[in-house]
Amino acid sequence: MMRKALDEEGLGQWLEALLRGPRRVVAPVREGDLVLFRPITSREEILWDEGKSTLPLKEWLFPPTEPVLHYRFWGNEVEVEDPPLEAPETVVLFARPCDAAALGILDAVFASDYEDAFYLTRRRAMTVVGLSCSRPQPECFCAAVGLSPTATQGSDILLTPLDGRYLVEVLTEKGKRLVEENAALFQEAEGLDKERATAAALAQMGEVEPLGEVSRRLSERFESEMWEVVARKCVGCGVCAFLCPTCHCFDIVDEANAFGGCRCKNWDACAFALFTLHASGHNPRPTQAHRYRQRVMHKFAYFPENFGPTMCVGCGRCLVHCPVGMDIYEIVRILAGGGAA
Amino acid sequence: MADGSIPAQWEPKIVAFVCNWCTYVGADVAGTSRIQYAPNVRLIRLPCTGRIDPLFILKAFEQGADGVLVSGCHPGDCHYVSGNLLARRRFTIFRRLMEFLGVDLRRLQFSWVSATEGRKWAEVVNAVTEEVRAIGPAPSWGEKGEPWRALEPPTGEEAEPLAAPAEAQTQARRSLARRLLEQGEVGIVVGYEANRRGEVTPALITQPGEAERLLFDGRCRHNLSVYLTKELVRKQGKVGLVAKGCDVRSVVGLVQENQIRREDVVLLGMVCRGVYANGRLEARCHSCTVRTPHLYDHLIGEATSASALAEDPRDTEIARLEALSPQERWAYWQAQFARCIRCYACRAVCPLCYCEPCIAEKTRPQWIPPSAHGKGNLAWNIVRAMHLAGRCVGCDACARACPVGIRLDLINRKVALEIEREWGYRPGFDAEAPPPLTTFRPEDKEDFIR
Repeated sequence: MMRKALDEEGLGQWLEALLRGPRRVVAPVREGDLVLFRPITSREEILWDEGKSTLPLKEWLFPPTEPVLHYRFWGNEVEVEDPPLEAPETVVLFARPCDAAALGILDAVFASDYEDAFYLTRRRAMTVVGLSCSRPQPECFCAAVGLSPTATQGSDILLTPLDGRYLVEVLTEKGKRLVEENAALFQEAEGLDKERATAAALAQMGEVEPLGEVSRRLSERFESEMWEVVARKCVGCGVCAFLCPTCHCFDIVDEANAFGGCRCKNWDACAFALFTLHASGHNPRPTQAHRYRQRVMHKFAYFPENFGPTMCVGCGRCLVHCPVGMDIYEIVRILAGGGAA
Repeated sequence: MADGSIPAQWEPKIVAFVCNWCTYVGADVAGTSRIQYAPNVRLIRLPCTGRIDPLFILKAFEQGADGVLVSGCHPGDCHYVSGNLLARRRFTIFRRLMEFLGVDLRRLQFSWVSATEGRKWAEVVNAVTEEVRAIGPAPSWGEKGEPWRALEPPTGEEAEPLAAPAEAQTQARRSLARRLLEQGEVGIVVGYEANRRGEVTPALITQPGEAERLLFDGRCRHNLSVYLTKELVRKQGKVGLVAKGCDVRSVVGLVQENQIRREDVVLLGMVCRGVYANGRLEARCHSCTVRTPHLYDHLIGEATSASALAEDPRDTEIARLEALSPQERWAYWQAQFARCIRCYACRAVCPLCYCEPCIAEKTRPQWIPPSAHGKGNLAWNIVRAMHLAGRCVGCDACARACPVGIRLDLINRKVALEIEREWGYRPGFDAEAPPPLTTFRPEDKEDFIR
């Protein structure tokens, strides 16, 4: 890892250089009433530190819908064609540390067992420039899931504002390439103490306690009646899963007519009854309590057991956008016995 | 065409949905009488115009039709007595909805052609073909139109202090909820509470001691009647439902549609002075006529006859959209729907979207493409609006829940206004009344039918 620094002017020049360069540049912008990651052509479009994007970064690697194959019927023959997989070299600017950390989680899933070419091809072409949070939002709880407003996980480069300058942590080979292309702009990072930035940001985060090792405790309470008590409020939409930067479940559906069609890979959510409905009519997760339990267990028990980290980065999108205010942080605390029951 | 030009060699494709008994025979008569007419029409025969679901029409457009013609028996001639009269109502509203979304209504036509009217059939087909020819190919169906266009933020009154009366209501409600639970009158109370970040969310309580958590103030925006049909709530027994007047309207709808029995719910009717978001009175509260609920078991708060009846900001925005050209409206809604991610939050929070399974989940046939692409999103959003026509009480829960800010409130409101204008019907007041699209009057207007 390499530590560098940029002043405001240097950062501006670097952004100009990136925008002139061969790569597509994606950054948070305001689109109508939302903040979204969108391709930009000038740095004036970038939204600095104004809350997180409504949709997480995953839409650029794992879009809400994408064709995995097209087919045409010719009498009894079927002609199959691969859709073009476009993966231009892309720089993502100013991902929040939580969003960047989520990419590491998605990487683990899409590269394990079966290698998902759609995701991985785009991922290899993506370089992530993270920006440490200096103003956590009221819904944030990254500190409770082992991250922090200045965490480096998932970023290729992480910028941290400090004393009117930016600390530039170059974390990967991809990041190094990006810096070396404009090496002259970067200064030495002497005298920049990242710990201060971390402490200042954490001080602004609401009261959150580390959830700690909840995996075993949740597993022990798999049959607890509390699941039903907490899930009663859930109305069963897909907002939490679709806006979650780490949720990655998908459905494969065919959209076809008499002449041919398309097989699509679409976002899916464990909150839907249809998610587990068998063709026989049997549903192994018959109620919203079963479905909500799956959501919590997957994030806080199964995923850690299989891959290590918790499958939640504490961004709080699900808290903010849930139409009935389900609060996964609170619910894990209740179920794992760490909070008021 | 995007630029409005009409390509050379282009011939309009018209799909005609016709009834078996009149128009299909009329078309046959045209043929056997050797009457010549435009070859642009493809006929699909159905038993009755009453069987022609707007889904069919959407599918035709989705698969590339430039125009759709629906034709059946004249009023009084229906072989199923009244199928065509029900269809007349349904299409009255469907046309207005499609027009609001920016479809040029010359593409969507209706006629009565009897079994003997071979000549009329030929004339209708010729006229429809020429009208569609004049406006050119249908705009791309469900492709992303122009960049996102936000309407001006709605104006509304600034928040007024609500603390005093709401505090009294909160106390009254707490003690009532406790008593109902203690005496076993209800198994669960559905009300409001504050979460750890000070925001108001639904509270579902089953223990008398939990009643202390309940509160009521101007932040209580949710329509909690959605819980009346949820399995985990129902199994608790009778529900004590905290309901503002607007919420009571959807309770009436659920009783009217036999989803719940009136006696299964104890209504804790709240006198409401309006609910607020970001310091502004919500749009729906401007035109509220039920500040004191029209139906309740217990009334909490002092009954008020005050109904603001100010200009509803939604109506201002609808008027602004209607002042645009159809092409501009189409582009506006295409950009709105392009954002849809198919999370179905709109459906999940709607008290009247209780179907299990939903039409969007049916695969044989797959009426609504399940993917979050232009075609799928357009079909979903139109069908959602149409299925709520005459049933939606305008609580705007769908628009509040939409994470990407699609103005579902404007679509619902537009349809509701048209229904009120046509048939004087407002849903949610009379559980005995037939919903407007399940009934008809012989004298219903039919000025749009050839």
